[in-house]
Amino acid sequence: MADAWVAGKPVPARTAVAEAARLLRSSRLPVIAGLGTDVEGARAAVVLADRLGATIDHMHSTALLHDLDVLRQFGLMITTPNEARLQADVVLLVGPGLTKAWPDLPNRLLAPRPGDAPERRIWWLCPGGDRIAGPAIRLVGDGSDDVAVELAVLRARVAGRPTRAGRQEEIDTLAENLRGAQFGVAVWSAAQLDALTIEMLSGLVSDLNAGTRFTGLPLAPPDNAWGVQQVSAWMTGFPPPAGFGRGFPEHDPWRFNTTRLINSGEADCALWISAYNEVVPDWTGRIPTVALTTAACRFRRAPHVQIMVGSPGVDHDGTQFCPLTGTLVAVAAKKPSGALSVAALIADIATAIAATET
Amino acid sequence: MTVLTRIKGGRIVDPATRRDQIDDIWIRDERIADPPDGGIRADYTYDAGGKIVMAGGIDIHSHIAGFNVNTARLLLPELHRGSVPRPVDTPLSTAGWSTFETGCRYAAMGFTTVVEPAVPPSFALHAHLELADIPIIDKASLAVLGNDDFLLSLLRTSQGSAIIRDYVAWTLESTRSLGIKVINAGGAVAFKANARQFSLDDIVPHYGVTSRTILKSLQFAVQELGVPHPLHVHCNNLGLPGNVETAIETIAAADGLPMHLAHLQFYGYGREGERGFSSAAPVLAEAVNKATNMTVDVGQVMFGQTVTVSLDVLRQFNSRDQAQPRKWLIFDGDAEGAGVVPYNYRANNFYNAVQWAVGLELFLLIEDPSRVFFTTDHPNGAPFTTYPEIFALLMDAELRAQWIAKLPANAMAVTSLASIKREYSLGEIATMTRAAPAQLLGLKDRGHLRTGAIADVAVYDDDRDRARMFRAAALVFKNGELVARNGQVIRYRWGRALKVSPNYDRDIERRMRTYYEERYGLASDLMKVPQHAIPRPEPFESVPCR
Repeated sequence: MADAWVAGKPVPARTAVAEAARLLRSSRLPVIAGLGTDVEGARAAVVLADRLGATIDHMHSTALLHDLDVLRQFGLMITTPNEARLQADVVLLVGPGLTKAWPDLPNRLLAPRPGDAPERRIWWLCPGGDRIAGPAIRLVGDGSDDVAVELAVLRARVAGRPTRAGRQEEIDTLAENLRGAQFGVAVWSAAQLDALTIEMLSGLVSDLNAGTRFTGLPLAPPDNAWGVQQVSAWMTGFPPPAGFGRGFPEHDPWRFNTTRLINSGEADCALWISAYNEVVPDWTGRIPTVALTTAACRFRRAPHVQIMVGSPGVDHDGTQFCPLTGTLVAVAAKKPSGALSVAALIADIATAIAATET
Repeated sequence: MTVLTRIKGGRIVDPATRRDQIDDIWIRDERIADPPDGGIRADYTYDAGGKIVMAGGIDIHSHIAGFNVNTARLLLPELHRGSVPRPVDTPLSTAGWSTFETGCRYAAMGFTTVVEPAVPPSFALHAHLELADIPIIDKASLAVLGNDDFLLSLLRTSQGSAIIRDYVAWTLESTRSLGIKVINAGGAVAFKANARQFSLDDIVPHYGVTSRTILKSLQFAVQELGVPHPLHVHCNNLGLPGNVETAIETIAAADGLPMHLAHLQFYGYGREGERGFSSAAPVLAEAVNKATNMTVDVGQVMFGQTVTVSLDVLRQFNSRDQAQPRKWLIFDGDAEGAGVVPYNYRANNFYNAVQWAVGLELFLLIEDPSRVFFTTDHPNGAPFTTYPEIFALLMDAELRAQWIAKLPANAMAVTSLASIKREYSLGEIATMTRAAPAQLLGLKDRGHLRTGAIADVAVYDDDRDRARMFRAAALVFKNGELVARNGQVIRYRWGRALKVSPNYDRDIERRMRTYYEERYGLASDLMKVPQHAIPRPEPFESVPCR
């Protein structure tokens, strides 16, 4: 099977690399997007963006920015998955999409605590249509309710303020349970909640700490989104999306949003990276694209250049966010193969670009 | 091929070799060399006539990498502008508050080795990845213990010092650290159990051991392992009025054995005066002067916007209402906690002005410059870029008087700063920032200009404006290579992370595997820092234990 294509035709990898270099080199505003890659791949992508004056963005940066906006405009109290698992006597699940964001959630966080700790009390505010089999979970609200409004009512009741909302008794019982927690943990997925909703939740958690201990566990989006955000922050000072077009890194969620740049015609070349999952871009504009993806990636419109890459932790060793620990960890290849890493391919492309410059 | 470099005719200020004289420094490749035999000429000669020549600076306590620092970047996008351009052909040469900027700014001031002092073991890999992206300088990290269930459980069940020693050694090796730090021992655990204050003799909930017991057991383990750097201690009660008592009790608790107290300025507070907040620096300095087993660093405050980053989650939680701008992160970690709280030290604020004075009093009243270290606890008291101004203040009583005249008189009235006339000499500055730190960390081949030392050399203009002099070194050599000129980085290179590897009974590995499996349902390997994960050739360098 071929592992590189140009204009739909199988070619040797070096031909594809040379074509990718040509496209990127001649671009006025390239975007480096997707960024589903490990720490090494993200580092290489940032260095390449610096060199090309490109923008960088992660496929899940919108979700990442929901949590980040709350952090940088209000504040957050958070804990680790391990600590939540060991300490939480009360778990407040908020909104839908939690097991999608973290399939291990029931097993890691909702199962009985290790040792002889008292049973956890688990609540789920506005689960939408989601359900988790097994543990006893008390549901409050459903898919028709606005999570932000429910949280606002709950926060008001925790603070002892009157509300005219429905379900008084249910909400009051929940508020009492939260206040009675010894170490409560609120869990949410930013892919499902907007920033204002998360800010309301953060305010609720903060208020609860006036009397007891309560904290939060935001579930990170997949495709090493958290890891890439960390790399971008230490290398540039900023999270994605960021741009290097003016000769120094800048962060602006609107200006450097990949889909906007492409659909508006501002960007004229894209480098799409997806080494973990079969994710393809969601933009609708036509743009010459170089794709570094897993073998199974199928595009609606074939990219001009496509090169297969290995998956970190499967084909090659890598370093990436680990949802079990909430930190960056080194992962060894499960089935080592000759497939190149994103970092190695970007290094090849950068070398080819340098060769055309001399 | 050997490269011979000569730094010609500068004033060598090198307290480790008791030199303060005009002389040449010769460098052969990466090391300081004897002058060659007659007739052999240098490949490169740099005229240092009228200039000061010192070993490269060593910073023993500066938060430059890891989850906390990176969170501060994400929390405060407004704090870092795209800044001064550096060589255009180096990667990320225009990034603002980045790892790249950190290395370049340190190098520009003539610093060549910096210690990140607060790495929780579970974030060690993250910290090392950031350290590996800091150019030019060498780095090291201190691993933080003292709120970890494994240690506290050992203490609760009185399992003896041997197993604790092995565990400390295993932690040092797994996290590739140069030493051990303890931060408000037990305080993060107490905070999880809803404590809002925690002192030296308070008992950690669920574990039945005191903060003092944790502190002593770690101090003893580090000592027994022969780790050169003594236990690095962040005491209880940071920042609180009257906390000088905590610092003095901790000094007494050290029991004559080596111990390092970090950012002592934040513990130099009395309760005098109408606001119940005053400088207790004279008493504290005297306690340090008497306890020759102790070393301290200052954590000087300078006025301006900064951000406080600390694993002392209890302290950070309590200070979040003073956040400026109003936003913060409070983190309950696996063992240690963390808090990132922005803060603006203002010259017209009574408390901030007292803090500023307390730091300088400690610098000036602690007599032995080899036991008081130069830090701002970057970025907690001030960013490290304020060092040049602090050097100038230490070296010039008249300059201090000018500052004091502009600060709130009621604040200055509860300090002794105005009465202190001492001025640091260049030799004392070099002791405090070169010779002594190398000795404290066990780095035998740096901090001095003896033959055989690593050729980390800083050359400064002998400018009467000491701040200008220290802000932009005329020449900086790292491992013999010229990396900066007139405060501008001209060449990138990649330094290493320094670490110790003490001997221990390998049986602890089996025990840790079992422990991680039982407590977390995870492999203990997840916490390790494998060399292959660090994207530099030879990223580490071993420092021998005693």
